[in-house]
Parts: sequence; structure tokens; C-alpha cells
Amino acid sequence: MLTILILMPFLCGLGVLLPLSKVFRLKLFLAVSLAHSLITVSFWRQMPIQEYHGFLVLDPLGLILLSIISFLFLSVSIFMVGYFQHEPRRNRVFMACLFFLLSTMTIVTVSYHFGLLWVAIEATTLFSAPLISFHRNQQSLQATWRYLLVCSVGIALALLGTFFLAIAAHDVHSLLLPVLLKGAASLSVNWMKLSIIFFIVGYGCKMGLAPTHSWKPEAYGQATGMVVVLMAGALTQCSFLALLRVAQICNKTGLTGFYSSILIVSGVLSLIVPAMFILGERNIKRAFAYSSVEHMGLLVLGLGLGAVGLFGALFHMINNALAKVIMFLTAGSVAQKYGSTSADQVRGVIHLYPLTGVFLIAALLAGTGMFPFGTFHSELLILNAMIISKQYLLVAISVVCLAIMFIGIGKIVLDIIHGQPKEPVLPKNENLFMNAAIAAAVVLLITIGLWMPSPLEKLLHDAVALVEGAT
Amino acid sequence: MTSWVDASCIIIVFLSLIILSNYRVVAMIRVFAIQSLVLGLLPFFMHASCISSRDVLISLITLILKVALVPSILFWAIRHVSMRAEIKPIIGFGSSIVFGALIIAGAFWISLSLKLPGKPVSDLILPCSLSTVLLGFMIMVTRTRAVTQVLGYLIMENGIFLFAVSLFDVMPVLIEMGILLDIFVAVFIMAIVVNHINEEFEKSAESIIPKIGETF
Repeated sequence: MLTILILMPFLCGLGVLLPLSKVFRLKLFLAVSLAHSLITVSFWRQMPIQEYHGFLVLDPLGLILLSIISFLFLSVSIFMVGYFQHEPRRNRVFMACLFFLLSTMTIVTVSYHFGLLWVAIEATTLFSAPLISFHRNQQSLQATWRYLLVCSVGIALALLGTFFLAIAAHDVHSLLLPVLLKGAASLSVNWMKLSIIFFIVGYGCKMGLAPTHSWKPEAYGQATGMVVVLMAGALTQCSFLALLRVAQICNKTGLTGFYSSILIVSGVLSLIVPAMFILGERNIKRAFAYSSVEHMGLLVLGLGLGAVGLFGALFHMINNALAKVIMFLTAGSVAQKYGSTSADQVRGVIHLYPLTGVFLIAALLAGTGMFPFGTFHSELLILNAMIISKQYLLVAISVVCLAIMFIGIGKIVLDIIHGQPKEPVLPKNENLFMNAAIAAAVVLLITIGLWMPSPLEKLLHDAVALVEGAT
Repeated sequence: MTSWVDASCIIIVFLSLIILSNYRVVAMIRVFAIQSLVLGLLPFFMHASCISSRDVLISLITLILKVALVPSILFWAIRHVSMRAEIKPIIGFGSSIVFGALIIAGAFWISLSLKLPGKPVSDLILPCSLSTVLLGFMIMVTRTRAVTQVLGYLIMENGIFLFAVSLFDVMPVLIEMGILLDIFVAVFIMAIVVNHINEEFEKSAESIIPKIGETF
């Protein structure tokens, strides 16, 4: 079953490289995303059996991420139907890369071998790079270049970390996760520490943690909204899964303290740095990119705090992904209507496009973690974990940074929504597909913000137990 | 065969230094190809007594990808003459060498405190791979040309691979192939982006020149 899930998008990706019509590619993508989601939903009822001698296994952690990825691709594929009605550009390479991205991300969620995990994460970097320069101009090419370079170096360091882990595991002679966990006592502590540092730097670079976040505002500012949704919601969280896997080993080897202290430091940095840059920002996509750095910081903080914080972080993974759908799809829809996302050029959205204006407000509230959105709930859980562990300074810093982010993003969004349109833009009709995709995410995020379904709660608890090594 | 392994390690570090001190991109790519050649032959030196099919496979793939394909892709990316020389690096060539030497010394010093478990084939593998990684990193940071930065990335990868060669049979062959393939695809995509960047900048340069001409 897992093999089908991986191969289906891959083969379709090869297929769309053939000269086909633009509409057919979109329909195929919609069909594949739908099939992928249906298979993923079936996994909620019954976990699939392991494949390839335990190299591909789906566990609760993987299932959380797989569901996120499935949902994001589905909503992007629906949005895309509307988007490409107004987009004259060819989509051959673009669509092929999207299919390959779906396939490689699926491998990330199910890989149980650290080498395979690295190969899959590197592949996601490579297939997402051509997506950034869809509108081929100087800025987007520079953004692509920076993304490729920073992430490749980061990922190369993670490879070094993987090899260090292999040396630490000299006695057990394998990099399969269950084997490592079983033989945790025989791992060499010094090499393990070295490998942890390289893992955090490497995968943290790919997550966009400060201070290696510099590619984020560039890449998110230049890529189309749909691509950014996949990058901010799924791609960065794939690297977070890698850090969760490392946490599993650390919890068995007694290196939890070492690991979590590094995580907390980088988490706090990722809260402070975007708060410093957000206030001068005029471009809404770049502002949302800084908000994404901040959310990654929260995830890492939650993981570092453990227990309630870990539960909050896992819940935040889902909320963050949904919030990113609302934020960047709305930004993408604004960009297509106005040809810009800068607050200096875009004005009076709510007068011309009332529905998009409402979505922008939803994006503001969801992105900054306000009631009744799910992000509010999970951010509260992470703050709660800080209070429980009596880290009051940390609480103060986080609250101040979150408040600054709210002010910064709020200012840009309100500028865009209100005000008089600079020149009379011809109002195009709102597109049904585009709005449906955003509305679904809004409804879902409010729902899980108010009420957590019991299967989701059970899955999150299972995942926490898995990371903490209780099972 | 330990002496051969030692010699290869030292050659690999020296070749990285040569790339660091060079300013002609064509020469840099050639030196990189030689470095990859040495790296590709290393598995044979290491297990000279019993060469397994695994060694042959890995070195064959390394040779094909890194000695033949990657350099030719890079040559394709710089086929326009205008970008064949590195212009104004952030650190001059002379001081680069001094920094490079410091980096190598630092790498040897760090690896004194790290002990490889088991019986390593050669004591030089760890310090040499660390210094190659760091030198590659330095090339990447201090050079301004896109192609040179790709070369820095590749040298870094070579350093990591030098390290990986000493860890036989922990990684399954298939995954090692995956790693090599990923790096190859990375270079391929980077070369395409470099090519696009060149085209875009040439286009914009052309569009600016007539405008200036019109005003006069």
C-alpha cells in the first residue's frame, strides 16, 4: 500500500512530462491528490503493514505528517484549477515537480532508515527549487539560487550528521530506527552528541530556523502562493519529522537534556529574529514568511520542552499547516488580482473583493494565533509547558515576540484591506475553486480550535508516547 | 595499502587547496574532476585484499557521476566566455591560502579528540575529510560567482564522501546510490538555474543598453 502511495504520484509526474494539454495535467493532479487523500484516510482506520524489510513503516508520527501533506496537496490542487484559468504560462515542468514533490514527501513520512530519510528530504529540496522560479525573472531566480544553496549546504551537514550517527551506532551496525532504539545503550555518547549538533544545524536550516532562515523571505516572497503553501506547510515540517526521529533516539540514550537545551535556544532565536524584522516589512508574502519562521521556532520550543509542549508542538504542526493554507493561498489570490503583494500597491481589497478581504482577516487571526483558530489552542499549550517547567523568562520573551508579530502582520493586512484602491483596478470575478479551497481550511481550523475529535486526540497521544519512548 | 590510502587523503586536501587558490573556473572544474577520481579509486585501496562487488559498484558510480557527468554539466553551464574568471572574491587569493592552512590545522586539532570506533584503515581519513568539508565551505562563502559556489558545494560533498568510504556496510548500497544520485540531480538543477540566471541577466543587459542609446 505504501509503495502504491509513493509510486502513483511519481509515475504521473513522469507522465505529465509528455506533451499533454494544460487542463488534463490539472485534472490528473486533482485526481491523484484525491486518491492520495482517500488512501491516507483509510490509514486512520487501519495502519498499513511495513514494507521492504522495515525500511518503510507508517507510525503515528508519520501519519500526522502524511495527513497534513495529503490535505495540503488536495487544497492546492483545487485552488490551482481556478488559478490557471487566468495564468497564461505553461505548466509542464511545474506540474511534474509537484507530482515528484508529493512522492518524495510521502517517502519522508514513512522512511524508518536515517539514510533513506536524508535521501528523501534532499529530494524534496531539489524538486521544490524549480517551483520557486515559476515566474521566471531576476528576483525569483536569485531567490531560487539562495534557497538551493542554503538548503543544500544545510542538508549536506545533515548528511554528515547521519554518518556520525552511523559511527555512534558502530556496534549495532544499522541505521534502522527500531534497531537503533533497541541498541540505544551501546551508542557512543560523544559521536551521538556531534551528530545531534549536525542534525539540528542541517535539518534546522531546511526548516528555516533562525539564523539560517535567510532563504525564507526571499523564496516565499517570489514563489506563487500555492507553492509556498506546500513549502511552509509540508516541506519544512518534513525536516521537523527528522528532528522528532532524532528526539526518539535521544530519549533512549539519556541525551534529552543536551538535545532540548539546543532546541530551546534555537527556538527562542527563531522567535526573536522575525519579531525584529517584521515591523519594517511592506510585502505581505514576506511578512507571512517571517511568521513562518516564528511558527517553526514554536514547534522546536515545544519539542525541547517535552510532555505538554510536545503534545502542543504536534498539534501545532497540523494547525500551522492549515493556517499556512489560509495565509498563502489568500496572498496568492491577491497577487493574481493585483499583480503585486506589496502594501504600497495593493489597497482596498475589501471594497473590490469582499470575500478575499474576509479571508485576509482570517489569515491574520490564524497566522498570529488568535481565538477561535486552532493555532491559538496549540500556542497556548506550548506556553503552558513553559509555565509548568517554570521558565518564566521564556514565557515573557515568547509573549512579547508573539505580540510584536501580531502588530507587524496586523498593520500590513489592515493596510491592504482598507484604504482607497490606487487606480481603478477592473474587478475580476471571484473564483469559486480558489475560494472553496481557502474556505475549507478556515472552517477546519476553527473546528479543531473549538473541539478536538477523539481520533485526533488519540493519534496525538500515541505520537507523544512514541517520541518519549513509553511504548 | 595503508600508505596508498594516506597518500590519497593528502592529495584530496591539496587539490581542495589548489581550487581555493585558483581564479580560472575551467581549471577549477578540472581539478575537481581529478579530486573525484582519487576519491573514486579509494575503495580499491582500502579493501585491496578483498575487493567486493559493492566496492566496484560504488567506485564505478562515483567515477561516472563525479568525474564525467558533473564536470561536463558545469562546462555546459559556463559555455559563455563572460563567466570564466572569478571576479573579486570576498577574501583575496593570497589570504585564502593562509586561512585554508589555518582551517586544515584546526581540522587536525579537532580530530585529535575524536576517536573512530573499531580499527580504522588510516588515521588521516577523519582530519582530511573534515578539512575538505571546511575548505569547500570556505570556497562557497568567499566566492561570488554562482558556478564557483557550486564547486564549493561539490568539494564539501567530496569531503563527506571521503568520510563515508570508511564506513562500509552500515549504509545499504541502494541508499548510498540514492545519496550519489541526489547530489548529481542537485548539481544538474543548480546548473540549470545558473544558466537561467545568465540568460536573464544578459536579456536585461540588452534591454538597458538601447534605452541609454535612445536618450543620447
